Amino acid sequence: MRILDITLKDLSQIVRDWKISLFLVVMPFMFTLFFSATSAPAEADARLPVGVVNHDPDGVLSARLIETFEGSQAIRIVSLKEAEESQVDSLIEKETYAAIVIIPEGYSRQLLAGEDIRPEVIAISDRPAGHSAVTAIRGDIKRVLSAAKGAQLSAEVADSRQPFAGDAARQAYLEEGITLANAAWDNPPISTEMKAATRIDTERSQSTNPAAQSSPGMIVMFAVFGLITSATVLVAERKSQALQRMLTTPVHRWEIIAGHLLAMALVTFLQQAVLVGLGQFLLGVDYLSAPVGILLVMAALALWTASLGLLISALVKGEEQVIIWAMIAMFLFSALGGAWFPLEFAGKAFSTIGHLTPTAWAMDGFQNIVLRGGGNGSVLMPVGILMAYAAAFFGLAVWRFRFE
Amino acid sequence: MKILDIALKDMLQSFRSVFAVMLMFVEPIMITGLIYFAFGGLGGGGSDGLDLPMTRVVVANQDQADATSGISAGNEVTKILQSEELADFLEVTMAEDEAAARAAIDDRKADVAVIIPAEFSKAMTVSGARATITLYHDPTLTLGPGIVKAVIDGIMDGFSGYKITADITEKQLARQGQTMGPDTLRALAISYTQWAQNQNTTEGASADPTISLRGPSGSRTPDDSPLAGILGPVMAGMLIFFVFFGGAYTAQSIVKEDEIGTLARLSTTPTPSATILGGKLVSVFLMVLVQSIVLLISSALIFKIQWGEPAGVIAMTLSMLVAAAGFGILVASFIRNTRQGGVMLGGVMTLCGMVGGLFTAGFNTPSGTFDIISRFVPHGWALDGWKLAMSRASISEVLVPAAVLLGMGVLFFVIGTMLFRKRFA
Amino acid sequence: MNNGKAIEVQDLHRHFGDIKAVQGVSFDVRQGEIFSLLGPNGAGKSTTISMLSCLLQPNAGDALVMGHSITRRPMEVKKAIGVVPQEIALYPDLTARENLAFWGKMYGLRGKTLGRRIDQVLEIIGLVEQQKRPAGKFSGGMKRRLNIGIALLHKPQVIIMDEPTVGIDPQSRRHILDNVKELNRQGMTVLYTTHYMEEAAELSDHIAIMDQGQIVASGTHDELVKIVGKQDRVELTINTESERVLPAWQAIDGVHKATATDSIITLLVDESDRVLPRLFEAAIEAKVHITSVTIQEPNLEAVFLHLTGRALRDG
Repeated sequence: MRILDITLKDLSQIVRDWKISLFLVVMPFMFTLFFSATSAPAEADARLPVGVVNHDPDGVLSARLIETFEGSQAIRIVSLKEAEESQVDSLIEKETYAAIVIIPEGYSRQLLAGEDIRPEVIAISDRPAGHSAVTAIRGDIKRVLSAAKGAQLSAEVADSRQPFAGDAARQAYLEEGITLANAAWDNPPISTEMKAATRIDTERSQSTNPAAQSSPGMIVMFAVFGLITSATVLVAERKSQALQRMLTTPVHRWEIIAGHLLAMALVTFLQQAVLVGLGQFLLGVDYLSAPVGILLVMAALALWTASLGLLISALVKGEEQVIIWAMIAMFLFSALGGAWFPLEFAGKAFSTIGHLTPTAWAMDGFQNIVLRGGGNGSVLMPVGILMAYAAAFFGLAVWRFRFE
Repeated sequence: MKILDIALKDMLQSFRSVFAVMLMFVEPIMITGLIYFAFGGLGGGGSDGLDLPMTRVVVANQDQADATSGISAGNEVTKILQSEELADFLEVTMAEDEAAARAAIDDRKADVAVIIPAEFSKAMTVSGARATITLYHDPTLTLGPGIVKAVIDGIMDGFSGYKITADITEKQLARQGQTMGPDTLRALAISYTQWAQNQNTTEGASADPTISLRGPSGSRTPDDSPLAGILGPVMAGMLIFFVFFGGAYTAQSIVKEDEIGTLARLSTTPTPSATILGGKLVSVFLMVLVQSIVLLISSALIFKIQWGEPAGVIAMTLSMLVAAAGFGILVASFIRNTRQGGVMLGGVMTLCGMVGGLFTAGFNTPSGTFDIISRFVPHGWALDGWKLAMSRASISEVLVPAAVLLGMGVLFFVIGTMLFRKRFA
Repeated sequence: MNNGKAIEVQDLHRHFGDIKAVQGVSFDVRQGEIFSLLGPNGAGKSTTISMLSCLLQPNAGDALVMGHSITRRPMEVKKAIGVVPQEIALYPDLTARENLAFWGKMYGLRGKTLGRRIDQVLEIIGLVEQQKRPAGKFSGGMKRRLNIGIALLHKPQVIIMDEPTVGIDPQSRRHILDNVKELNRQGMTVLYTTHYMEEAAELSDHIAIMDQGQIVASGTHDELVKIVGKQDRVELTINTESERVLPAWQAIDGVHKATATDSIITLLVDESDRVLPRLFEAAIEAKVHITSVTIQEPNLEAVFLHLTGRALRDG
């Protein structure tokens, strides 16, 4: 009972400044929206902008190339205005375009004649956008080249069987071949298709919802950030000697610590509950498909962050230090744990270390439900590991805890 | 003189405070370091591009070899996937069938499942037949599966190209009243494959047959590592974020002095209130000046970040300082007490940083709408300016965001000072 | 200077909203004396002091400090005074010496002069040994001493101290009181506020008693005590009802006022040492046994009680 009294006292202190509490919910929500918006812009067209200058306007192949670009799912082409042509370099530097393609004069004619001629592509290919754009452009050009090569080979076969009457006949045969090949490329015999492997039925597949990554990510990140308020209360309590005074009352040490732990866990749990609700109803992230599993993950995450908060308040002297350590913990655990960007984006060493962090397991727990559609049972392992971390941090905190 | 005394005292206090030093100098470097580490700075391979993630691929080859020709295109695809060239980033295992492959993903034993359909070989040999290769990927992953898809798309385009070549040759010969015959087909296959292989092997080399690729001219020195290309904007984001944070934190010392009673005591000394406030403003400015210089130099040394031409760097540094100092004073003027201050500052600064695009700098090309929103906060202009400076744009181009920053800074400064005067007069 | 007055307070008024913190306070402090404002918490002492140190503008009235008006020439006033605020206004993360150096500069001291004064002040407040330690690490008493030291740096003509001994140990308190006396001996005028009557009694040349924003009495210690006259208060406890002995005692010459509750009798007497033996004689005659006697000489506490009907301590 006394534990609860301590908890309630803490809670009333934490929520006293309701504006700050509000902040702890509003901020992560804005972040979620923001990260969802940047990873897949809300505008209809998420394709990378690519500028095109066509110096071969009458060519068969260049026309086809433009057509292929236009059908691309990766890039969105824009014809450069004359004024822009002189400043392609700065347009790329300023990232107005991910890449710029310049098709040289006589491209189609020379290519069909078997000469070496290539479009010039300007891009910063070691930036992600530049790299993706160049890959897409290269793929499209290859298809056009393949069609031309096919037509050439076809013409050679025909020529070997029965030589063409003249250049005009050869040209006509070649162009017919190109037309046929292009038509075939519009619907190639072998195609690939990529699907998310999720047990959520494909209609509702969450992998396209960018919030399904950012919403759990921000929940995890701000669960740690929230310690700034709750751990501050405990440190202030030690500074004002109230903690020491508590020892003169007939309350066990463990009751005092447990009371504070519970308060911090409750705050984080409530914060998560609000964010899960917002994620479910405003962003369409399907947390509630496995409600029990989600509750378990939330509770385990709350307990772990609370023991982290306890550890922080056990180790530091003043309120300001709480802010430093909470911020460091937030940056470290959310970056390493994949709350900012999926760990697969990072290098091997980083993602290996990252997968060891409790935050990574919390992310796993959430994503097993919202992305993989694994149901309640799928969270058992992440929850178990989180609880083990919580116990370890709690042990450390109790060991280092000072009352004065 | 007294203005400087107050400013110097404030700076001395800031340097004594572990919190301020951590916040202003250590954290920005630490976070950039974390990203440096995350994207291969320590994992080797940092010099020759991004460290590609290892993707675990499980292949279910359900292809039935063509009965007549004995061709098994499915085996060919599998062989390519298992080839040494791809072994650096693909770890390929085999599964019995589609169900087993998908189970491997559900059990987190594989990242991508490649399902080669039964009619795959048939599609390669029989005119008009089609096949689709299906890839299932772990829904939490995008990058690795994207790479696998690109690889498979390339292979399949090769197959399709050959098939299309054979088809049109046959079709065109038929119009001439001729048939193809197995010898012609074989010769065609050899010619096309040779050509296709030639295309692939020279890809990326200087003799790249598809395109001639170049970076924007003049701006990037040869030793400019690709990692620096990402780290530059990231560090710029961190620089801006923490310089603004530092400014607001230093400005908050007015509130702190009010709390501990030294502000009132200062008023009992023969020091005009304008001097007291002036000293505080100078200290904010000096603090962010020191902070920016330290961060600019240390990041250039540690991460080899090239901030740009001196003129652009100076213009951006100065205008950022004014904006950060002004913004800090404005924000601090709203803070009632230091207890509230920590969370308030953290919140407002993070929010502005987010809107200004500081946390996503280097990762995404911002969309149009976002580009506009980011202009509402000084952070967005600062990032814009630093990017221009780093790309060595002409000084006149850098001056635009610098001028806007300067204007915003002065405006914030005037409003903030007015609010403070009203509060402590 | 003007007729030897360091501070002349003329009808000061200050209100905060509806609360009238100071209403019509006037008093003079002569140069070279220690002047105490004595009163319970909330009497208006700090508000008065804040106005005299130019932190607050009076709503009405004015005061001259070393001849300068606090409303018209605040900068001149500030140069003349050193203020010791009630709260410990120091920078905890700066060392004692750095604190003194900073504040010295705020009073316009520079260079060698400043360095010399810092050394002298450190000597006065007894912190020479600890000068390189951050002020935040000091004990309560040391902080109080440093808090005072800052106000001495520029050798002010008038030093204004607002409850400088609140909440510290007896030893530090002793040290501070001795400092105040020593400074005064060197010619500094001291305006001192306190709610400890012993301090006011020990230190002051003149005392003004404040209550509810007004000065209820002022004068030297002896003058104030005379308000309650020379009578001692004698309190006796007896082993039976008071009626048995009260009439006999009231008849004794020199006994003025007698009140009784059950077995406790309170008398106001002229000279207790002369009257007391006769009280005992009367008791023996009446066969009444006296179990305890308390004699209290007249003091400021009694004066405050007499003037306001309330005790100093419980404000």
